[in-house]
Order: sequence, then structure tokens, then C-alpha cells
Amino acid sequence: MRVYVHIPFCESKCSYCAFASFVNPQEETKYFDALISEIALRSTGEEVESVYFGGGTPSCIDPKNLERVLEKIKQGFKLSPKAEITIELNPNSTTKQKLDFYKRIGINRLSFGVQSLNDKVLQFLGRRHTKKQALFAITEAKKCGFENISADLLLGVKGGRPKHDAARLLRAKVKHISAYMLQIEEGTKLKKLASKGCKKIASEDESAKIYQKLAQFLQKKGLKRYEISNFAFPGYQSSHNIAYWTGEKYLGFGLGAHSYDGKNERSANATNFEDYYTGKVTSERLSQTERDEEIIMLGLRCEYGFDKEKLSFDIEKLPSYKNFIKQKILFSCGNIVTLNPDYYAASNAVILQLLKD
Amino acid sequence: MKEKIRNFCIIAHIDHGKSTLADRLMELTGSVAKRDMQSQLLDSMELEREKGITIKLTPTRMNYSYGGEEFVLNLIDTPGHVDFTYEVSRSLAACEGAILIVDATQGVEAQTLANAYMAIDANLEILPVINKIDLPSAQIEKCKKEIEDVVGLPADDAPCISAKDGTNVEDVLKAIVERISPPKGDENAPLKALVFDSFYDNFKGAICLVRIFDGSVRAGDKILFMQAEKEFEVTEVGLFKPKMEEVESLSAGEVGYIAASIKSLSDVHVGDTITHTALPTAQPLPGYKVVQPVVYCGIFAVDGSRYNDLKEALLKLKLNDASLQFTPEVSTALGFGFRCGFLGLLHLEIITQRIEREFNLDIITTAPSVSYTVVKTNGEQLEISNPSNLPPAVEIEKILEPMVSASLFTPPEYVGAIMELCQQKRGVYKNLTYLDKTRVRIDYRLPLGEIIYDFFDKLKSATKGFASFDYQMDGLMPAKLVKLDILLKGEKCDALSLIVHESSAYARGRAIVEKLKKIIPRQLFEVPIQAAIGNKIIARETISALRKDVLAKCYGGDVTRKRKLLEKQKEGKKRMRQIGSVEIPSEAFLSILKLDDEQ
Repeated sequence: MRVYVHIPFCESKCSYCAFASFVNPQEETKYFDALISEIALRSTGEEVESVYFGGGTPSCIDPKNLERVLEKIKQGFKLSPKAEITIELNPNSTTKQKLDFYKRIGINRLSFGVQSLNDKVLQFLGRRHTKKQALFAITEAKKCGFENISADLLLGVKGGRPKHDAARLLRAKVKHISAYMLQIEEGTKLKKLASKGCKKIASEDESAKIYQKLAQFLQKKGLKRYEISNFAFPGYQSSHNIAYWTGEKYLGFGLGAHSYDGKNERSANATNFEDYYTGKVTSERLSQTERDEEIIMLGLRCEYGFDKEKLSFDIEKLPSYKNFIKQKILFSCGNIVTLNPDYYAASNAVILQLLKD
Repeated sequence: MKEKIRNFCIIAHIDHGKSTLADRLMELTGSVAKRDMQSQLLDSMELEREKGITIKLTPTRMNYSYGGEEFVLNLIDTPGHVDFTYEVSRSLAACEGAILIVDATQGVEAQTLANAYMAIDANLEILPVINKIDLPSAQIEKCKKEIEDVVGLPADDAPCISAKDGTNVEDVLKAIVERISPPKGDENAPLKALVFDSFYDNFKGAICLVRIFDGSVRAGDKILFMQAEKEFEVTEVGLFKPKMEEVESLSAGEVGYIAASIKSLSDVHVGDTITHTALPTAQPLPGYKVVQPVVYCGIFAVDGSRYNDLKEALLKLKLNDASLQFTPEVSTALGFGFRCGFLGLLHLEIITQRIEREFNLDIITTAPSVSYTVVKTNGEQLEISNPSNLPPAVEIEKILEPMVSASLFTPPEYVGAIMELCQQKRGVYKNLTYLDKTRVRIDYRLPLGEIIYDFFDKLKSATKGFASFDYQMDGLMPAKLVKLDILLKGEKCDALSLIVHESSAYARGRAIVEKLKKIIPRQLFEVPIQAAIGNKIIARETISALRKDVLAKCYGGDVTRKRKLLEKQKEGKKRMRQIGSVEIPSEAFLSILKLDDEQ
């Protein structure tokens, strides 16, 4: 069982962000009270193998609040002594004091939202930190005794050099890199810019090329691509991440957080404070087809693939499946089906074709 | 009785208001109650109404009182398109007179002229009618002068009407009675009836639309189709009012229908003569012709497993359209389908649209081709209407291609543009006549194969739509033709092959691969598109491999959003045809014809 805790506060909104995050520090106390009671209410006593503080910017809030949350989780669940406990951080709000505090309360994995090591790109994205701050924060984390450090890189802004950035991050002893492509979401500042023909945004082709090069580089350096966007040195894969792809049960606490019962029910908390405080939840029961779709969609993103036996139908009867196997776009080994890594950048098209049949 | 009958048709250029006038005439004579009027009654097919053109003729009988006497007016509507010239000629043969509609805003157009000449050839009395006088741009006097100068008919007393709002339509009825002569013929002579159209009725079998010239016919009679040499027993005769209405008998001068439990429309040939088996007429009516398809193409179901549905659809359409021809065809790229023959491009378009609409089948239509006569080095002669059946170049002695003689009508300022176009299309110049100050007629001999490509579109754009065009088949001519193959990812796609003239093969090959590059979506792998003549590659483009938005972050386990996004994309995904390992949208096959719009 996995636990996700959403911290919806930020010091400022990034230009590409369409997620539940608010620049609203006066809400903090009330929010954490609500969060604590939600955890208490939904406690099951099950064993928790990982906890993930995501955001928003968990590093910008008073760390004592995180301590309260962890305490509550320990009360209501059986937190495994080996549990992976991750926090997402922004380099600019990361201080030595905070890092020491995190270490003390049991956080053992850091995920830095580096995005880029080019100050112009960072500015364009509306990030508050600089290259210098990012590298400094990572060094500080190392000094505080953190080993399991991850950095996010955002692909798709012209002028950025993700491969170059990755090399620098590896020299700083980062063990895990997540590479995402810039998504232009409705209602964001970036969307407005893009609709005005902003020249800073790279085309899908350009981003795809950059991704391919980055992937090659990271693998050459000894990292493993265990999921399309995630690269890690052996032993440093995020078990929390993997749980999402493999259909494990997880509980999400906090504003807009998602939960999954590991079978056929997915639910999500409300994405505004008011509704969250009144306990509004939207949930859906997955049909057999939807469950199948998820298995394929999530499985093909990972090096682990998916198990044919888990599907409710015989995938071998699909003409597109047969074609993909023939063309070596999909690999089949025993019951496990995986996507040829050469086609990772086009995984959507493969998944779509399978779902269409 | 005969003296009170008037058999007439309406001839007009497309969109000059034929169907609207027919509607008004029916309304005025009370043939249909106004509340039942559905605009343009005669165009019974949905598609016809949508396109605003009449394809299939539907006759109607109207009663009209004039000068204290009751007259019977039989309107035989005619199709207004060059594809159906033969049908038009048979309809004209069933009439004594024709109303020639000229649009007051457009004047005399090519089709007007071609049909007017056909009517004159058929010895019909022609009543010019000037329509659309309600429009501000109507030029009645100019129009009258054109009718006199260009068509050569007096137009002084031509009714000037607006079929749309009904102005002066009564004058048309009067003119029909006064000026068109009643049918001749002898009721007591042996039966002689002209089949000018047919359709299939699920209960009565094939229905023959006939004009009785001599004698009479009633249920129970044994009849003989003189050209088809088939015999049947009449089960019912009747009139069109405009719905079918059974009567006791049809006699000389009348227009109506004969049903005789005829199982298949292929036994009924337009232009055939019906007579009594026991007491036949001495001579069949003249003018009978077996209609041959002019344009061919392959038709395949997008979903290959629906081959039988496609076959069913074609069989059903054939019931109502004897001119449609089809034979099974196998394509390595598209699987099982049919090679179909049509009277022309419009006919092709109508049939393919009807298959999709009325039978709910997604189909792929391959590039249309004409029928070439191929003489092999061993002396053998072949008719090739499917490019992929063309023998290898070394076995070919010569290829003959069908030609047409074309007349183009244009204002003088576009003469240059038209001649350039005809020259490009390998036309042979024949003649140029100034009909008047505003109108020139240019005659060319052109290969039919060049016309079925983009000739109409190009003509339109070269002359801002002012020129019009009419053609007739005009024999065969040897030409240096080659087969142009298209290869996708190294595999020849037979459904994309074309027969083209050697001189334009390179340009065509280049244009096609460029066009396909635009039309074929990116695939999971690189797809080279090549054009080849024999083993020689003459053009190449490459579609780069697909790379698409994969690296979206899955925020906090929000899997639902991702799935919904995929589902949305799934809905939007077009059905495509798998050719080897490449997916092609079905419009690709026809699109290779429409190349010039983007160059």
C-alpha cells in the first residue's frame, strides 16, 4: 500500500502549471488540520511501503506540518521501516535547516524540481530558482546525508540542453532523473503564449529528438530506463512510482489527491479548498474494458510491461497486436508484453492502435 | 384522344432551374396539392436533391384545361449531365417538344447548346423559356439575343418567367398546348413502344418507362423486347401522376409504364422497342445503342471483411442502374473488391456516395482509369481498364487510348488559357469559332484519360468558371503510355498504380509522392514513398517516424486523466487501411488525382 500526500502550496505559479497549487500561505494551518483529520478518517492499519509528498511545493511550507502528517500516518497505518519516503523540493526554498529536519523525521528520498540548468529557460518557465541554486541545494542535500536524490528535467523549451544538464546533475551525484516533456495545458500562462506563436516552445519532433539523445546518454552512464520518463542507477528506482504503473493500491490525501483500490475503483479529492474541506470526492468504478486499457497503457510505459493473463480478453487475437509483434514493436516473453524501447517516443500511437481494435 | 396529348421534356444547363419549373407546372395543374409539395419533386433521390441536379428521369402526367378543353401533358424529365447523354437522347425520342430553359443571368451555356442540338436532331419543337427573371442580374434582352444568335431559334415570344416565385409560368403551359404538336401514331397498328427508362420495384420487378408510338398494350399481353429478344407477359400498365397508378391500357401517344414480372433490370435496355409477340411491328425504333462504361475504378470495403456487403450493395444499385457494371477484382494491397465501370465521373461519384450512404459502407475508390486497348508483341489484343493488369513494357507493341471530341465555350478573354490547358492535356486543336462578341467555341480532340483527371477543375480555375465543356467519344489513338507504380516502404501498392503519358510521368510521380506525404499520417517507423516506372525510381519522399506526447507527467497517480485523454484520442482516430505495414487513410487513393491544387 502506498500513500500520497498533496501539498497544494507554492511561492508562485509556474507558467506551465495547471495543477492544484495555490499561492496562499494563510490557508496553511487550516489545510493541515483538514489533512490530518482526513488521514485519521481513512486509516486502515495496512502496511505502507512508501510515502510521497508531492505538490505544489512541499519544501515551501513549515516542515513541522510534514512531521505532523507523518506522525498521523504512523498512527493510522503500519509504516514499514524500509518505507521509501519522498519529498518534492524546489531548490530555492530548500535550506540546510529544512534538509536536516527532513532527515530527522525519516524522509529518505529527495526529488528536486530542477527542470533546467539554463537560467533563461528557468525564467521562461516561471521557476524561482537559478542553476546555481539548484546545484547548491543538491550539494547541501548530499552534505546532510541524503543519498537517494532525484532531479526532474523538463524537455521542450528551446535553448535548453537537457543532456548537458543531466551530465552536470550526474556529476553532482544525482541518482535518479525524471525527464518530462513540456505539456501545454488549458488555462496556463504558457497556453496564452503558445497561442500567440511563442517561439520558445520546441516542436514535438524536436523534443522527441532531445529525449532520445538524453535517454541514450543516461543509459550509457549506467542509468536504467525503468519507465518512459524515469531513469535510475540500479537500486535507486522509485518504488512509489512503480506502484502507479503496476496497479498497486494507493491512498491519496489532500487537495486533488488520487486514490486507487488496486482493483476497479479510482477516486479523487476535490481540487479547491472549500470542497475539499467538506470532503467532496469523485470516484469511478472501472469497467472491465477500462481496466484492460489501463493495464496496457500503464504497462507499456515500463520496462516491466504487462501481464497478458491480467487482461479480460485474448490480446493475441488482435490484428494490431499480431502486427506489432511481427514488426518487433512489441516484445512478448512468456506472459509478459513489453514495448520495444526504440518506440517509447511513440508509445501513445501503439497504445491507441491496440485500444482501437 | 391523341390530339389532346402533349409529350414534352425540359432541357437545361445544370442549375438553370429545370426541377423548379417542373415543380411549378405540377403545382399549377394540380398534379400535386401544394401542401404535399416537397421542393423539386422529380429529383427523387436524396443525393440528387442535395447536388441540385437531376440524374434519374421521372416522368409525370398532368391534366390541364385550356380554352374549355382538357389536355394531358406528359413531362419527361431529362438528366442534365454529359455522362447521361444517351439516356437524354432516348427521353427526347419519346417527346414531340422540348422546353429549353435559359437562365437569364447566365445566358446560353454549353450544356444548353448540346442538348438543344440533340432536341433539334430529334425533330422536337423547341420552346425557349427565359428563367430567373426575378434576379437583379437578369438580362432578358441579351439572353433572347443569345438564343437567336447562338442556338439559332426565334426567342421573341419566349415566356420570361421566374420558376421560383411562379411569375408567368402559366404562359409556359399555354405555349406547350399551342405550339407542341400532338403525337402521331396509329392505335390500330401493331404495338411499338419505346423504353426510355427503367427502374426496379421490389414488388413488381423491373418497370419499363415507355412511350407508345403505335398500337396499345394491356395486362395479360405477351410482349417482346426486340433488341434483347426476350419475351414477357404484361402484369400491369399504368401512368405516373407522378406516383404510379394502374390503368386498363396504354395506347398510341401515351406515356406510362409496363410491368411484366421482369426479374432483372439487365433484361431491360433503354432504347429497346417493345412489341406484341403474336403480332410484332415490322421495324424496331431507331437509335438503340448498347451503353458502354467510359470510366473504371476499383471499389473496396475499408473493412475487408465486408466484401459481401459491398457485393450486395452493388447488386442492389445495379437493379436500378443498368449502366453500372462490375466484376470481382483482387488487389494485393486492398484485397477483394470490384472493378466497376461508369458512364462518367459524375456517375462514379454518385454510385460511390450511394454505397456509403444507403448501405453504410466505408469504401476505398482507386484512381479512375479509362479502358486502353493494348496490342502485345505476339499480336494479342487486350482491353485494360485496371492499370495493374498492364503487361510488362517489353511485351507491349502499342497502346491505344480512347479519345473524345470536346467543345469548349468561353468568353474570348479565356481562349488563351483554355488552349494552353488543352495543349497540356495532349489535346489536338481542331477549330475555333467566334459565336458572337462574347462567346467563342473551341474544338479539341483530347485523350479521355486526361479529362477524367483534373480537367474540369483546371478549366474552372483557368476561366473563373466562365467556360463550359461538352464532349463525345471519338475513337482510339496510339500513345506513349507507361505504368506509374507507387511503392510504400519498398512494397508496390497496386491500388495506387496509374497509366500516364510518358511525357508527364516524372512530374506526375513527383506530385503524387508529395501529395501522399501530406495525406498519409506519420507511422511508427519511417515510410519511404517512391514512384517508379518499371524498376526505375523516379521520385521519392519520406514520412518520418511518429513521435508523440508520451512524456506527460502522471501527477500524483492521476491515471484517470491519462486514460480519458487516450480515449478521446481513440475516438478521433480515423479508420485506415493497412497496406503491408503502412496505414493509409482511404481518401489517399482518390487524392492522387487531385494534385494541382497545391502546386
